[in-house]
Amino acid sequence: MNEGKILSGFLAPHPPHLVYGENPPQNEPKSEGGWEPLRWAYERARASLDKQKPDVLLVHSPHWITQVGHHFLGVKNLSGKSVDPIFPNLFRYQFDLEVDVDLAEMICAEGSERGIVTKMMCNPNFRVDYGTITTLHMIRPEWDIPVVVISANNSPYYNAVGEGQNEMDLLGKATREAIRKSGKRAVLLASNTLSHWHFHEEPEIPEDMSKEHPENYKGYKWDIRMIELMRQGRMQEVFKLHPQFVEEAFSETKSGAFTWMHSAMGYPELAAELYGYGTVIGTGNAVMEWDLQGAGLSNLKAA
Amino acid sequence: MTIVSAFLVPGSPLPQLRPDIAPWGRLNEAMVKAGKALANSKPDCVLMFSTQWFAVLDQLWLTRSHSTGLHVDENWHEFGEQPVDIYSDVTLVQRCIDACNAASIKTRGADYDQFPIDTGTITATTLMGCGTANLPLVLAANNLYNNPKKIEELAALAANELKDKRVAVVGVGGLSNNVFHENIDLKKDRISSESDDKWNRKILSLMESADIDALRSTLPQYAAEARPEMGLKSFHWVLGAMNGSFKKAEVYAYEPLYGSGAAVVEFKA
Repeated sequence: MNEGKILSGFLAPHPPHLVYGENPPQNEPKSEGGWEPLRWAYERARASLDKQKPDVLLVHSPHWITQVGHHFLGVKNLSGKSVDPIFPNLFRYQFDLEVDVDLAEMICAEGSERGIVTKMMCNPNFRVDYGTITTLHMIRPEWDIPVVVISANNSPYYNAVGEGQNEMDLLGKATREAIRKSGKRAVLLASNTLSHWHFHEEPEIPEDMSKEHPENYKGYKWDIRMIELMRQGRMQEVFKLHPQFVEEAFSETKSGAFTWMHSAMGYPELAAELYGYGTVIGTGNAVMEWDLQGAGLSNLKAA
Repeated sequence: MTIVSAFLVPGSPLPQLRPDIAPWGRLNEAMVKAGKALANSKPDCVLMFSTQWFAVLDQLWLTRSHSTGLHVDENWHEFGEQPVDIYSDVTLVQRCIDACNAASIKTRGADYDQFPIDTGTITATTLMGCGTANLPLVLAANNLYNNPKKIEELAALAANELKDKRVAVVGVGGLSNNVFHENIDLKKDRISSESDDKWNRKILSLMESADIDALRSTLPQYAAEARPEMGLKSFHWVLGAMNGSFKKAEVYAYEPLYGSGAAVVEFKA
């Protein structure tokens, strides 16, 4: 069997507003649009993903929070209606997803071997979180590629940021090794917003873009600084600054998806393609891709 | 104001899902006992707040008259499902919403099919036997940016709005929230540290003596050192609804929940 590959990794944030703005048939509430620059950014990301033809998409979402270890969806088919508990007026989405349980179990086992607590989620009545669904819809609305869904262990919140990120680093290494052994062509999705300062009240018309702008200037400046470094491929600097970014911009990357993804990719000093940046209720969101295949970095060495 | 009974209960699903684990079983029994005391107080409604119903935009209240479904906890999915069958008194909820908006707290209702009711609310209503057609809820979300003072103001505002009714108040949330982060032998569950245990016992003792001033001066340090769930906002909800005071409290149970602390407490006005 050929060894598996990581074709690319996307920073793929999950504001449900983007699904709401797009008006797909799966989503009950209907809008007049809104957040177009970010939705257009996702259109470009979709086109890139389509060319790569991956076997599997892996997503790490901060809205499936687990206290005891890192959990993986372990039921082959999950479907239902996902209602966002924070934005129920915007996101009531009929989902139907296929899980690559084999790969999920392999990552679970690799993680356990590396000393992190891992667990399969095998309850068929489980409700998939809206962050996972939003990211998966925005990157591949056809829902025709199996997925691996990983919870956000809350270690970055109960430990120091660095300790929590070390857990995510180990999870990333486990993910990389499992993909290599699986022989599959994988794409990684880090479902994270950048700066996370947000407004505390919603406009009467949620999609009224005259009300949309960065909530916090310092957060905005941090986003631009980090994006510029990512665009230049200066990832070591990005990770050196990461704890300060988390602290000062209240960045959602604290939850670990970004670190998990880059660890799995082997922390390449590779320039990212920025597909677009925009705010959602004041938070900073960037859709970006690290194209490992294009850079000749998709082959994985044995750990 | 007619607060006819008041309770603090944990929101973990473990007492409902695994009562065979001794301390969790004792919490289950204590919540059932609290539910009977609540019913005996003959309330018209239950003014409930659960730390696990997160809101970040606006203040949310449950305005769905009857919520049904099957819930699986995001942490404890291996222990099975929790049926959801919860009634709300929408007329009373709407009064609270109107009162909040009149007080410049931007507020709205949540009335959606399959809205994900949080684990804490489901566990509390199930074990306490409330949230029924005869004993409906008036349920508020936990806006994460509301500090304890704001929670008390919100509860007081709601209680005042419902002063023509007999109201039971319930705060759903745990004590020290330092859970074990590894797999443990469930039969050997305990509070994760001696320090947390001491802190929890100190706070419960202050509740039993109804020493409100001492509680208020101690809670910030407790929050910093024992990290109670959401800063013990659940207790502040009860305190706010009771107009900032109670005469005595009875601790029905104090037990560990996978290393965290949990108590079932009844407060008497």
